[in-house]
Amino acid sequence: MTPGPIISTHDLNLWYSDTHALQSISMKISKNHVTALIGPSGCGKSTLLRCFNRLNDLIDCVKISGEILLDNENIQSAGTDVVMLRKKVGMVFQKPNPFPKSVYENVAYGPRVHGVKDKAELDKIVEESLRHAAIWDEVKDRLNDSALGLSGGQQQRLCIARTLAVEPEVILMDEPCSALDPIATAKIEKLIDILKRDYTVIIVTHNMQQAARVSDYTGFMYLGKLIEFGQTNQIFENPHEDLTENYITGRFG
Amino acid sequence: MSEKFHGELKGLKQDTTEMGRFARDMLSESVRALILQDPVMAKQVVAKKKHIKDITITLEDRTYTLIALYQPMAKDMRVITCILKMITAAERIGRYGKDIANMVKHLQDQPDFTQPVPLPHMAEQVMGMIDDVIVAFETENLEVIKDFSSRDDIVDALWHSIFREMLTFMMENPKTITRGTYSIMVARYLERSGDHACKMAENVHYMVTGERIEIK
Repeated sequence: MTPGPIISTHDLNLWYSDTHALQSISMKISKNHVTALIGPSGCGKSTLLRCFNRLNDLIDCVKISGEILLDNENIQSAGTDVVMLRKKVGMVFQKPNPFPKSVYENVAYGPRVHGVKDKAELDKIVEESLRHAAIWDEVKDRLNDSALGLSGGQQQRLCIARTLAVEPEVILMDEPCSALDPIATAKIEKLIDILKRDYTVIIVTHNMQQAARVSDYTGFMYLGKLIEFGQTNQIFENPHEDLTENYITGRFG
Repeated sequence: MSEKFHGELKGLKQDTTEMGRFARDMLSESVRALILQDPVMAKQVVAKKKHIKDITITLEDRTYTLIALYQPMAKDMRVITCILKMITAAERIGRYGKDIANMVKHLQDQPDFTQPVPLPHMAEQVMGMIDDVIVAFETENLEVIKDFSSRDDIVDALWHSIFREMLTFMMENPKTITRGTYSIMVARYLERSGDHACKMAENVHYMVTGERIEIK
């Protein structure tokens, strides 16, 4: 059974000043599935990803039109609580960016901001989040050590744990493995596969093999447009659009 | 990177086409040697067995290397998988040619016995299908394989016709059993080669369009 969409966009447009960076994007993101966005640099995939938790609000010259529905509520509306939105829609970035604090504090930070004060409860959240991010066994004896002492792959999984600690519904990943070696990458990919049982994952990646490996659905973007969106095996075995075909077979991009 | 890959893929496809024609020639020469009762020609076909085995391994290795190094996708992936299947089918067809050629020397010692009447026609039909599917693979022109289903029906009908004809001869005269059995085997190998051509046509169709078809 295919679950309904958790996020859907209708005629979404975004301008950076005069640059029309996203052009009439309409798509549906399925709950508890992994959706990958692929396309050449500058095609708008990160911009689209950042629409889903309104990170583009931080850029002055951005103008947005159209609708983005999360659980059937338009997150673009003036009444949206952006802090709560970003709790629901967490994000992991290209370069691991742990806070210059201990492993424990990195994960406890979010719940604390959202009002959790009880030490026992925080301990529980920290352990569960680290377990869920498949890093608990590696850090359980060094929870008070600086997070900056971890390896790149561990730091990235810590950032995922930090995201999980505030119980999001959706996790956005912007090139989460591009700064990691193949072994750390494999761990993150395995983790993504596990995370989709409880969360919806949207991943932006330049690595097409990675998109093919980890995702259920793939969207191909080009020059601000969503050219093709479909099940991942269809996109990579038999794309319907020539542009998609040419991109994934390396003929441009 | 992409240009290098596509250059190599193009070369691999061309060499697979040539292998297909080589196998086709083995089959057609074997039937010719049989009809003409020419043991020298038959021996030449049998001698080609090593070559077709060698090309099979070489082409397969080149295909595996391309997959390992470039992880092709979409049309490129479909071309690569089609090449692998074309190689396997071509090798089978070449080996059927070798098997038929091997029968020529056995048939020479048998009491005089006419060839099954439909055999040359059946061979011509099968060769035509193999030729056309190789052209379709090479040029991606699907027109030439669009009537494969009805052409295969003709081949099947000829195979049944030869089978019944041979049974009749063998029942009438048990001395013809060896030769009759060989003739049935030849017809069977040709029929199988026709089936391989149909499978190749299905794969070429998938390679070109991404859509699956079944040729019955």
